[in-house]
Amino acid sequence: MSYQEVPSSLRNILSDIFEITPEEVTPDLNAEKVPTWDSFRHLQAILALEGEYGVQFDPQRIPDLTSVSLIQKELEKKGASL
Amino acid sequence: MQTDAERQELRRQIKDSACNRDAGTAIRSARKLVDGWNKPADVMFCASALAGIADAIQDQLGARPLRTYIVRSVTVEPILPFLATEAVFSHYVLDLEVGGYGSYADELLNTQSALVNFKPDLVLILLDVEEIAGRLPDLCSDGLGAGVEAEIEECAGRMAQLLRSLRSRSSARILLQGLVVPDHTSLGDVGDANLPHSLPHAILHLNERLAAICRTVSDCVFFDVDRLAARHGGARWRDARMFLANRLPVSSEFFNVYSRELVRAFSTMYRAPRKVLCTDLDNTLWGGILGEDGAEGIATGSAFPGNCYFTYQSYLKQLSARGILLAIVSKNNEADVQEAFRVRSSDLALNLNQFVACKIGWNEKAKSIRELAEELSLGLDSFVLVDDSPQECEQIRQQLPDVAVIQVPVEEPWKLVEILSEQPFFDALSVTDDDLNRLNEYKAQAQRAQLEDSAIDRNDFLASLEIVCTFQSALQAPLARAAQLLAKTNQFNLTTRRRSAAEIEEFASVEGGQAVVVRVRDRFGDAGVVGLALARNQGESCVIDSFLLSCRVIGRGIETALLAYIGQRALQLGARQLVGEFVPTKKNALCASFYLDHGFVNCDAKNAGDSNSKFFTLDLNTSIPQSPEWIKVEGYESNELSGSPVFTS
Repeated sequence: MSYQEVPSSLRNILSDIFEITPEEVTPDLNAEKVPTWDSFRHLQAILALEGEYGVQFDPQRIPDLTSVSLIQKELEKKGASL
Repeated sequence: MQTDAERQELRRQIKDSACNRDAGTAIRSARKLVDGWNKPADVMFCASALAGIADAIQDQLGARPLRTYIVRSVTVEPILPFLATEAVFSHYVLDLEVGGYGSYADELLNTQSALVNFKPDLVLILLDVEEIAGRLPDLCSDGLGAGVEAEIEECAGRMAQLLRSLRSRSSARILLQGLVVPDHTSLGDVGDANLPHSLPHAILHLNERLAAICRTVSDCVFFDVDRLAARHGGARWRDARMFLANRLPVSSEFFNVYSRELVRAFSTMYRAPRKVLCTDLDNTLWGGILGEDGAEGIATGSAFPGNCYFTYQSYLKQLSARGILLAIVSKNNEADVQEAFRVRSSDLALNLNQFVACKIGWNEKAKSIRELAEELSLGLDSFVLVDDSPQECEQIRQQLPDVAVIQVPVEEPWKLVEILSEQPFFDALSVTDDDLNRLNEYKAQAQRAQLEDSAIDRNDFLASLEIVCTFQSALQAPLARAAQLLAKTNQFNLTTRRRSAAEIEEFASVEGGQAVVVRVRDRFGDAGVVGLALARNQGESCVIDSFLLSCRVIGRGIETALLAYIGQRALQLGARQLVGEFVPTKKNALCASFYLDHGFVNCDAKNAGDSNSKFFTLDLNTSIPQSPEWIKVEGYESNELSGSPVFTS
């Protein structure tokens, strides 16, 4: 899968948080593949996305959003303009 | 509004300067990026880039590394990049370690805890109401408060015990965060306000008690997070969703503010406040231009807009009352200014006597401030300039980068006090008697300078000052003052080790140790505690760890008297030689030859000390430093010394 399927704003945020290159942020990237993606970075990413897109995630959904595509779908569901 | 292109440009600059290890540029760009956009991802980016050049930040900017341990009961991890970044902006490089959620008591009480083993320089204690005062919400629920007072005392007592336990195991500086006054209580706003023992009342009272406890523990600051919460958003300070789901204590939109204020609070334990505020006059101390509007035409007094300036004057007067020196730096005719202060005295909160110096004329302001620094024997990094002219401000920023510059918002003069108070440079953890006496002391300094000009022989001049040095153990003198001297003395400071109050206590109490302060007075006034030496006997050697003197008393032989005192005491405590150490810094060249001037010889010490330390020794069997004959000496254990040939009066 290509990183171009991920909107650039989302790619940039996740690359900042997980300290990886934007090109590594592909839809199938998930917590298991990224060593820096631990529970605290996960929370950090969620907070950064909420701040960037002006949305609020449901706390019960937050622990499940462990891949780029799941995050992207959830943001779209919340009406974020990516 | 900043554009995204600017943002990307700043990010590129940060990346490039981090690659080139250019710490100054990296930090400047990072600050612009973080302040301009306040985006969490940017902060992560900056934290990561700055962490990569931590050593360059220390080497190039003299940033202070701090091993920092966080005792917590809440989730702080997402805040850490913000904290690290704000710390770098204030020239601290944090090496962070976070304790467990439930183990705070063990960490503070146990001699072998993770905290103790980490050997922190700084401990931040960030607990929530549940841990500090878990029973209070229930006890306060009826507002009548049977047992509330007792519970507050018990909570405060427990916290005092934890802090003292930590202090006995570690000399780290400590920050204790207070509690946020809770919102949305079951009594409602009216009940909270009117019932004697509502939860908000109880929490405010507990915060006061905690602050009082911090005052009794050395090197400990109370951090009033409630005030911060009230200023920034109140109800928005905590995001209940994120607190309940993840125990996140602060809403993410305030991570930056919270981090900045944490750094500001612990900074007071490492840095002394700036000492001089230089104010411009026209459109700064008053509204309008004196040369054009005349004394009657300038805006000041009780009516708008003059009251904006009156508020600023009152603020300056309050700063002056706790030892910040005020000076006028203005392009004006001196006679006009004197007339304005005379005819408008009832409309002005200040009179000319409240200024330590006036530089009124047509010189460049950079020149005026340089002269002031020289006359007051203060470094330029002790100065703040408040001025309305963008050109003047820019000139000072470029020519005297150590001076802090505040530009007056000319169109919104009501904002000036707010802008000034947002700056940390006058923050002080303690106010000492020496601070209160400072204006008189500096005025006496000016009189001394006049006498010196008229005296022909230096020794006659010094004798005519009638100097009296009083030596005291640092434990008998105000410890806060000794710690303050260690924190802020740069020029006459042989090793520039910023020892904490706890470490001073150790020098004073250990066998063969000395922690001596010197108070100085003369016929013009009392300069207070102006010098400090820390030394410790090791076998037959008395090793002088720290030796420093406030610049304003240099050149009167006081340093020699202090050395003589230390030497004499060392001899009594069993030493046969003095070992002096000089650690060169950018600012202390003044005292490079101090030990050689006092008969010491170079020695190639291979022992510890800083890598660029130079060591000197003096054999006390053959030579004992003598106090200058023009100085009268008083000291603790003076009976013991009165028969000694070292001190003559």
